[in-house]
Amino acid sequence: MTEFSVDTPQVVIEAVNLTKDRLSSFLKKRTRVLDGLNLQIYAGQTYGLIGPNGAGKTTTVKLLLGLLRPDEGEAKVLGAPSSQRENLARIGFLPENPYFYSHLTGREFLTFVGKLFSLPDDLIETRVKNLVEKVSLVDACDKPTGKYSKGMLQRLGIAQALINDPQILFLDEPMSGLDPLGRMDVRRILHELKAEGKTIFFNSHLLPDVGELCDRVGLLVNGKMVADSPVSDIAEGGNFKALEDFFLEHVQAAMHPSKDSKPHSEQN
Amino acid sequence: MQIIAAIALNTFREVLRDKIIYAFFVFACLISLFGILLGTLSVGQDIRIVEDLGLAAISLIGGIIAVFSGANLVFKELERRTIYLIFSKPVKSWQFILGKYLGLASCLLIIILMMGGFLGALVGFVDPTSPANALTHLPWLALSLALVYLELLFIIASASLFSTFSTPIMSVLFTLCFWLVGHSCASLQDLAKMSTNPAVSKFFAALYWLMPDLQSLTRVRSELMYGRALTTGGGQGELLIYLTTYILAYVIILLVLSALINERRELP
Repeated sequence: MTEFSVDTPQVVIEAVNLTKDRLSSFLKKRTRVLDGLNLQIYAGQTYGLIGPNGAGKTTTVKLLLGLLRPDEGEAKVLGAPSSQRENLARIGFLPENPYFYSHLTGREFLTFVGKLFSLPDDLIETRVKNLVEKVSLVDACDKPTGKYSKGMLQRLGIAQALINDPQILFLDEPMSGLDPLGRMDVRRILHELKAEGKTIFFNSHLLPDVGELCDRVGLLVNGKMVADSPVSDIAEGGNFKALEDFFLEHVQAAMHPSKDSKPHSEQN
Repeated sequence: MQIIAAIALNTFREVLRDKIIYAFFVFACLISLFGILLGTLSVGQDIRIVEDLGLAAISLIGGIIAVFSGANLVFKELERRTIYLIFSKPVKSWQFILGKYLGLASCLLIIILMMGGFLGALVGFVDPTSPANALTHLPWLALSLALVYLELLFIIASASLFSTFSTPIMSVLFTLCFWLVGHSCASLQDLAKMSTNPAVSKFFAALYWLMPDLQSLTRVRSELMYGRALTTGGGQGELLIYLTTYILAYVIILLVLSALINERRELP
C-alpha cells in the first residue's frame, strides 16, 4: 500500500467522474444525485464541500468511504479504491447528526470503537484518556451517551473519529445544530487537527466556518461541482461576505442557467 | 477476533440493558405459581409437572426473546444509523453479523441458565423429602435445557437473516413461520406422499429436505424428560452430537447468507 507523507503534496482523496443515481423505493425511478464529480485533495489540506440541501455532499462522502458504490467513475482514498475496507484503518469519519449507543458511556463507546480498529488495549486506554481531554469530555465520559447534549455528542463523534489517529478525516456537517459555544469548541478542535497536519474533508452549510478553516472550497449544486477554488482567491483574510457572494452567485447561475447570471468571477 | 468480540460484547450489553432480564422474573412467577398448583393436583407426579411446565415456559420465553431480539438485531443498527459508525471502520460484513449473533446468543445463554437454575431449585423444593429422587432428574433436565438452547440458536440465526433485508414485523412473521414449519416436518413429508399432483408433491418434498427437523429435537427432549436413555442412532452421546452438528450446520448456513446479504447492502 502506498505511504503518503504530509511534507510532499500528494493527492490523498481523488474522485474521477464519480456518479451516483438514487432509485426510488416504489417505482424504482432513477434520480441522479451526483453527476461526474472530479476532485483532487492533497495531503494536509482542509477542504470544504459546500452546497445547498440535497446537492449531493453527503453522498460524496459516503462514496469516498465506500458506504455507497458508484454507478460510474471511481473514488480513491490514500491511493486505493474506496471499496477496500482495509484502507478505513487510516481514515476517521464523523457522520451527520451522529447517534451513538445510548446504553454505553462515552468511555465505553470510545473503547468499543478502538477495538473495531483492532488497537491494543493499552493504546486504546491512552488514546481515550487523551481524546476525552482534547474534546473536553473528561467530566462526562462516564455518563451514558443517552444523556449527552447535542454539542457533547458532536464532540464525542469527533473523538471516535480520531481514535485511530487517522491520516484523513471526513466530517459530515460537524457544526450542524450546535449553539455558538458548541461551534467554537468544534472549530478549536479542527484548528488543532489542521495544525497537526491532518487532511480534513468536511461538508458544511456554515460559510463563516468554511471560510475560517478551509484551504480550498468546492461548491456542489444539483450533484455537479460548479466551482472549486482556494479560499484565499475568494475571500481574502477569511472575509465571510465574499464567500457568501461566491456561494450565491454560483448557486443562482447553476439553478437558472438561462438567465444572464454567469458568476462575476467567470465574466471577468 | 477482537472486532467480533467487541461487537458481541456491545450487543450483549445492549440486550441486557434493554431490561430483557425481566423475562426471568416473569418465568419465575409463572412456574412457581402454576407448577406448584398443578403439581399438588396430580398425585405423585409433582416433579414431572413442574419440569414439563418449566421446560415449556423456558422454551416459550426463550423463543419470544430470540424472535424479537433477533428480528431487531441488524434493523436497529440501520434505524438508529449506528451502522455508519461500524462500517466506516475496517469491519467486514461477516464480522459484524457473527459478533451480533454471538452477543445475542450469550445473552440468551445467561437467561436460560438463570431460568434452568431456578427450575432445578424448584424441583428440589417440590420434593424435599427425597432429595435423591430430585437429583436423579437434574442431568436429564440439563440435557433438555441444552436442546432448548440449541433450538434457540437456530431461531436467532433465522431472525438475524430476515432482519438483514426486512422490517422487524416482517422478520418476526418470517421467523415464526420458519419455526412453525420446522416443527411440522413430518406433516410436510406426509403431504408430499399424499398429494396426487407431482408438482405439489415435489414442492413439499423439497420443503421437507430444506427445513430443519425441529420436531425431532422436541421428541428427543420429551424422551429425555421421561428419563429414558436415548438409544436411537447407536447411543445417547452420539445422538446429541448429531443433533448439535445438524442444528449448527443450519446456523452457519443462515449466518453466511446474512453476511452475504449485508455485504451487498449500500448505506444511503
